[in-house]
Amino acid sequence: MDLNLKPAETFRGNFSAQNSEAAIRRFPFPFPDDLYMYSVNMEPHERGGPTAAYDAIFDLDEHYLGECADRAQVLADDPKRCQVMPHLIDAEWDTLELLMESLATDYPAQFTLTRNGDAWHWINRPLALDQRFTFGDAASLPCPPFEYITRQVQGDFTLQDQRDNDLFIEGGMVTSQADWSLNFDAGMSFRQWHGPVPLAHEAGVFDRALAYLLRLQLGKPVRRLNWTLTVNPRLDTSPENYPKWGPDRTTVTPENVGHKLCLRVELQTLTRLPRSNGILFGIRCYLIRLEELVRVEKWARRLHRVLRDLHPDLAAYKGMPRYRPIIVDYLAAFDDGAPTSPGTGPD
Amino acid sequence: MNKSRPIYAPFQFDPSGARHLLVTDQPDPPADLNTNVQTLTARTHTADAILAFLPPHLATQTTGLRLYAIGSEAFVWDVNAIALAAGMGAGEVHLTRAGPLIRRVYCTHCQTMADDVATTITQCPGCGATLEVRDHFSRHHRAFMGVQVDAEAPGEIPAPEGFRS
Repeated sequence: MDLNLKPAETFRGNFSAQNSEAAIRRFPFPFPDDLYMYSVNMEPHERGGPTAAYDAIFDLDEHYLGECADRAQVLADDPKRCQVMPHLIDAEWDTLELLMESLATDYPAQFTLTRNGDAWHWINRPLALDQRFTFGDAASLPCPPFEYITRQVQGDFTLQDQRDNDLFIEGGMVTSQADWSLNFDAGMSFRQWHGPVPLAHEAGVFDRALAYLLRLQLGKPVRRLNWTLTVNPRLDTSPENYPKWGPDRTTVTPENVGHKLCLRVELQTLTRLPRSNGILFGIRCYLIRLEELVRVEKWARRLHRVLRDLHPDLAAYKGMPRYRPIIVDYLAAFDDGAPTSPGTGPD
Repeated sequence: MNKSRPIYAPFQFDPSGARHLLVTDQPDPPADLNTNVQTLTARTHTADAILAFLPPHLATQTTGLRLYAIGSEAFVWDVNAIALAAGMGAGEVHLTRAGPLIRRVYCTHCQTMADDVATTITQCPGCGATLEVRDHFSRHHRAFMGVQVDAEAPGEIPAPEGFRS
């Protein structure tokens, strides 16, 4: 698979991150209709979809180096962003195997995995890593296996243990999240960690989603999309660092909204793990500035209609109250009222 | 509706137990208590003393014990954590919330815990941030989530209110 990596851009400070024309065309636009409401929008996660972002099991893109560097910085400042409870050690190795196998298959020019029994050899060329280790022996790696591999992949990951007909979030690498805290939520059940989400409990969304996930089968991963808005292409919008990014929300003006405001989309994947019977939840975050997104006319029209008509409780949950009219006014200029084509892909 | 918030049953004697221990950070146990129930109350012991007594005591117990905790949310979940660590199962421990509506709050920014918080807006004793107490409860931390309320616009702070539940 083609993978052209840019030199590391920044997702903080001067926010140098931008999307190339190719990155815009592959963006996983999340709205299949002009009106948005919650649903259990899960589908099989197989290679291939509306854009190239769906072509790999774990998608990498031009931002790989910058995102890995941003993750390393978050971890240096706050090591608790990666934590796994000790009983999930099998799930750690499951994750390492799954990610290494997937990357080596989808991106053979960048990654190579050689297995000889328990003697494994991993090569990550973009990060210049060449690691021989013993599968199952954590001491043979420079850090625990889950941390080791998730430092080398774009997107957050959490580990769910399954027991008592429920899922418990008991591990994760969470450095690019949309305002939730792994350290606070660690140990919670499925309904508990979704507690703050408005409207969806009443709609039965979480009951249906949990029932579905408890039956998730080995070798049949599923995916869904989620979205929010973020001011500046900032990966780390954690509650821990809210004092750092919260003030950005007061800086949006009609003049800068196209450049500053980003649609943030999570391509979420759920995979049953073979040894632990746990579930790996991948949360791959994509950021696109509005001025980039409006280059796809269909997306500009549809995003305008979605945000204009969004339920106020949802708009509040997604942090929009301060600048919602500015965004809607900006996008209105790109909406001529023409119908939009079915599906999420660009025309 | 918030699904991380526990729902507590009113106190009820559990006849499936062979022995019964009730601990509370309130002055009095429930009225008309079954005489088989041993009690430790705030009239004779501080909450800290009760929490210190439990681990060695539970280590001497065999199955058949029923443990009842009545009091503030922080207290009953502290008791629950001790009971689980002692090997007791979910059906052997009964939690009931009672007393003033106060909360233990975890500061998301500096991870300091503040006990006995009575209002929706409170100052973190660790980092000094003015926190909004979100209605999001962790049984693991035995605390509610506190997040700086005026991070977007410093000084923009809503009036504190008492908790409704």
